[in-house]
Amino acid sequence: MDKSLLDHILRIRLPVTIFVIIVAFTITYFASRAERDGIGYTPTQPIDFSHALHAGEMQIDCQYCHTGVEKGRHANIPSVSSCMNCHAIAKRDSPQIQRLTRHYEEGIPLEWERIHRVPDFAYFSHSVHVNKGIDCANCHGNVEQMDKVGQVQSFTMGACLDCHREPHKQMPELAGLIQKGPEDCAACHR
Amino acid sequence: MAEQMKDKNQQQEQVDVHYWRSFRELYRDPQLLEEKHREFKEGVTDDFSPDQLSQISRRKFFALVGASAALAGAGCTDYREKGAVVPYNKQPEEVLPGKPNFYASTCTACPTACGILIKTREGRPIKVDGNPDHPVSKGKICSKGQASILNLYDPARLRNPKKKNGNSITSVAWKNVDEHIRSSITASVESGKEIAIITHSVVSPTAKKLLDEFAQSYPGTRVYAYELFHEENRNNAWRKCYGSGTFPLLKWDEAKVVLSLESDFLGNEGNKIEQVRLFTDGRDIMKTDTFNRLYSAESAMTLTGMNADYRLRIKADRQLEFVLSLLNEIVVKKGAGEVSLSALGVISKYSLTDFIETNGLPEKVISHLIDDLLANRGKSIVHAGRSLSEDVHIAVNVLNEALGNTALYLTSSEPVTYHTLSPKDELSELIEKMSSGEVGVLINYDSNPVYHLPSDYGFTDAMKQVPTVITLTELDSETSHESHYVLPINHTFESWGDAQTRTGYYSLQQPVIAPLLDTRQKEEILLRWMSAEDNTDGNPYHRYLMDHWENAIYAGARRSVDFRTFWYAALHDGVITERAESRSFNRVNPDALGGIELPAAGEGFTLLLQESYFLGDGKFANNGWLQEIPHPVSKIAWDNYAAISDASAKKLGVKNDDLVTIETDGRSLDLPVFVQPGTADGAVAVMLGYGRTKTAVVADNVGFNANLLMSKDSRQSPWVYTGVSVKKARGTYRVVSTQEHHAFDIPRVQDIHYIRHIIQEGTIEKYQKDPDFLDEYKHDLFSITTQKEYTGVKWAMSIDLNKCIGCADCVTACNVENNVPVVGKDQVQVGREMHWIRIDRYYSGTPEEPKIAMQPMLCQHCDKAPCENVCPVVATVHSEDGLNQMVYNRCVGTRYCSNNCPYKVRKFNFFNFRDHFRRGYYRSDLVELVNNPEVTVRSRGVMEKCTFCVQRISDARETATQEGRPLKGSDVTTACQDACNADAIVFGDMNDPESKIAKYRDHNLGYVVLEELNVRPNVTYLAKLRNIHTEDK
Repeated sequence: MDKSLLDHILRIRLPVTIFVIIVAFTITYFASRAERDGIGYTPTQPIDFSHALHAGEMQIDCQYCHTGVEKGRHANIPSVSSCMNCHAIAKRDSPQIQRLTRHYEEGIPLEWERIHRVPDFAYFSHSVHVNKGIDCANCHGNVEQMDKVGQVQSFTMGACLDCHREPHKQMPELAGLIQKGPEDCAACHR
Repeated sequence: MAEQMKDKNQQQEQVDVHYWRSFRELYRDPQLLEEKHREFKEGVTDDFSPDQLSQISRRKFFALVGASAALAGAGCTDYREKGAVVPYNKQPEEVLPGKPNFYASTCTACPTACGILIKTREGRPIKVDGNPDHPVSKGKICSKGQASILNLYDPARLRNPKKKNGNSITSVAWKNVDEHIRSSITASVESGKEIAIITHSVVSPTAKKLLDEFAQSYPGTRVYAYELFHEENRNNAWRKCYGSGTFPLLKWDEAKVVLSLESDFLGNEGNKIEQVRLFTDGRDIMKTDTFNRLYSAESAMTLTGMNADYRLRIKADRQLEFVLSLLNEIVVKKGAGEVSLSALGVISKYSLTDFIETNGLPEKVISHLIDDLLANRGKSIVHAGRSLSEDVHIAVNVLNEALGNTALYLTSSEPVTYHTLSPKDELSELIEKMSSGEVGVLINYDSNPVYHLPSDYGFTDAMKQVPTVITLTELDSETSHESHYVLPINHTFESWGDAQTRTGYYSLQQPVIAPLLDTRQKEEILLRWMSAEDNTDGNPYHRYLMDHWENAIYAGARRSVDFRTFWYAALHDGVITERAESRSFNRVNPDALGGIELPAAGEGFTLLLQESYFLGDGKFANNGWLQEIPHPVSKIAWDNYAAISDASAKKLGVKNDDLVTIETDGRSLDLPVFVQPGTADGAVAVMLGYGRTKTAVVADNVGFNANLLMSKDSRQSPWVYTGVSVKKARGTYRVVSTQEHHAFDIPRVQDIHYIRHIIQEGTIEKYQKDPDFLDEYKHDLFSITTQKEYTGVKWAMSIDLNKCIGCADCVTACNVENNVPVVGKDQVQVGREMHWIRIDRYYSGTPEEPKIAMQPMLCQHCDKAPCENVCPVVATVHSEDGLNQMVYNRCVGTRYCSNNCPYKVRKFNFFNFRDHFRRGYYRSDLVELVNNPEVTVRSRGVMEKCTFCVQRISDARETATQEGRPLKGSDVTTACQDACNADAIVFGDMNDPESKIAKYRDHNLGYVVLEELNVRPNVTYLAKLRNIHTEDK
């Protein structure tokens, strides 16, 4: 091989190629991070339920439906019967509500698309966080303004630890009220 | 260096003075010594070559992964999809997903009928504990009860009714079964034939009423009851002595001296739960420093004998002579107590000195026994085992009365029997009638007579002459195999019921889950046969039970509330109490001793058949958790065996695992031998409940069916046979035990564990003189590293070795709570059992008269944990509250931690054991429901160990946060602590000076194992105090 060509490959082409690969990887890594973490994931639900209407306009408390949030690990997706508390009367002519009623009456399971999820080996408890005074919006965003709910925060271990280490940076309103969250492995994994 | 080697060799050759765990160790078997040099047993990594694990090459694997990834990338419309969340349609009011519900019910694992509290999550039972409101069991249950949850999810459970047509078996619908059987029963009634129902003992008042009503609606029905183990000898003797009634309950807690004659009252006799609680209450160092004293005279080493302060080796057939000699010594020689004239005539023939001489008993122990019995008249109990003959029980009744021990008979309550067990004659008569075709229909009512009844009844052949044989059962059995109809029944947790075993309370049983399979509860089946038309909706027995409670129990209880309130309160509490009539006792019949006859001193061995601690009468043979718990004494799992003494073994020329033939009156069985220290010479003990066939994958062919050795015409008792021949047979059979691995020692200092004070103990007298006597073992510890300060809650455990009896109920509790897998016999053999807590058992002294110490061993959660320092991937780290945490996701399985653990409590998942055990028997949708959802199910390649039930700590923290208060140590109990019948385990926050645990940690008797390593364990043991006389130390 021509010596100058080899020299050119080793001195210019190879470093440039490696540089391009690294830059491309880095840009993709960071640019796609939010996407990969699921931020902005807004699936279509089987029933067009609007949080903006229920929680925003009508000011229904989150806990009216998400009953478990103060008591246990799961916030709970409300049972169809909870919807029917109002919708047995309210808006019975809407096709969406008629669909809901059919689920209720015929006992067909209503399969909502899951939006937020932590892996099985992470034991997250809603009640501990909510009872410490942490607002739902800190993780779930301003749900009362969303017609269609999507994920706004990352739910990775890094995201959990950011808050556990420096809660006051994330939630200045709780300064003096809460201390650091636990960083022990067994706090979440067991 | 050479000198060191010499020292080491000398240590190895030293014999006998200290603790030893097996004969191989005592006699310094070179192979064993060699094995102990090693970290793991030989073969622990066998069959672990990558070729055997998978046939796919690395290159092919990557190619497949790449292809799948490409396909997945191309094929998935939205890779962010996270599945569906499906809420309840109509949410039950009491269910909150993620939060457990507790239901009070009654255990039916054995006729003791303890109160239980079933924990359910989203409607599925995941854990069983005792019901604290129950007046007898007081919040505790045994291993069988706890593990019975696995039976609910057993994949082998029968799924629908089956009918046998010739040789083929077909599934049929309940409707058709009901019709056929109703017509068979009616035909049988019309032709004047008998309808025989064979059941186990009946403890339910409502079930008793149902059986009576069934008999009324179908004349010619007779109900027979049998048990493999029962108290009939004791009760018959009682009736001969006192005229009527049954043997009373005893005030074990008031006894200062207990003499147990071949009785395993701490292990599996009577109401074990209550007896253990009351007995160990007299050994609570926090309450008293004058313990009760236990003498045990037995032929086989039992759990009770293991805990005795003094133990005498007496063969079962000599017990009568022993009691009569004691009577003679106490009444005639010492002039204490009174017996009738005719009794005096009988006992004067027996001399204790002669008895001591002929049986080679230690004279000193007997003289202590006599002194103690005399000094504690009215405060001692002489208790004969249920396997001893009626005569022994009569003599014991007389002895107890002579000593004034009738004061310890409980007067406030008495046992209740709803259906007396059928005596031998009645069963023989039934079988005769069956053979001669006089029985039209035979209903095996959740019973298994083909397996249980002695073969000389000829039950199996007689059953073939019955035109319709119906078996109601959860699992296939030896009996169901020979039946025309096999009807699957509900598990306890799917059934309604009630129970009363003694006066003063009724306990209620409620279903906590709808039947998982197409089954019905056994009472419901009979009830449906009783009515002409089939009313198919719901369980009619629920209504039946409520009606009986309304008409009989509610009416009798005279409560001021209406029945509905009463019923729901009873369901909530699981139990109702009422005033029981006080009982009084007459004087013993003066002629009771008249008919007593000494058994002929036969040549040969005395065979003792024992109940298995974990399988019961074989009912739990298909439960992997129970099969795998090591026997409390021998530490053998997955088998039964013939236990004989060292001397007998030498005489027979056999060693462990050699097969022997046991023969008695023509019935014979080949069994492997296990040389059990402490067995009486010339005695052989075998556990029943093993050797099931035609059942299901786990139970079949595990162990040997020793029921074959039983005879209906047994002379003394169904469980004791004299003049038995034991001969060496050809071949060997490998029995696996967990006792020789987990070598405690580090190779450098191997074999000096006996001088390392792992077990520390003393005597009561020593403790009374010098409560700080353990200080001589304390070390001045020096460390070059700084000790971390723990300021908040710091978890610690204490185990009181005075109270621990080594029953292993904690092991079962831990298995259920922490999703511990079953590994199987082959894996136990190579030391891979996964139990997070084990009971170490140490022998000291001689093989003839061993002194035994037990020690539950679990992760010690050391402050300076050696495992943490060596993990290359930081998968095991320490938490702020003093826990040694294990992070499964980080673990790559180097096993360095286990290597560096001085206590050897870490367990490695060599396989995915759910797949591996019996070809994935426990990998079934049904069995997955048993898993505790709060605990990760571990897979292959990760290390695991005790977590101090961290899920319960998290749960308590959640509750504390919800209530807006700081977490307290007393908020958390571990699973083992909840299960410990003796309350030997205490758990809590050691930084809280007021807490119970702090008091235990600071106690004079508290010590930590291997203190000199300065790993600072957080588990404290309270040294065992033996209540023996000082001079015979």
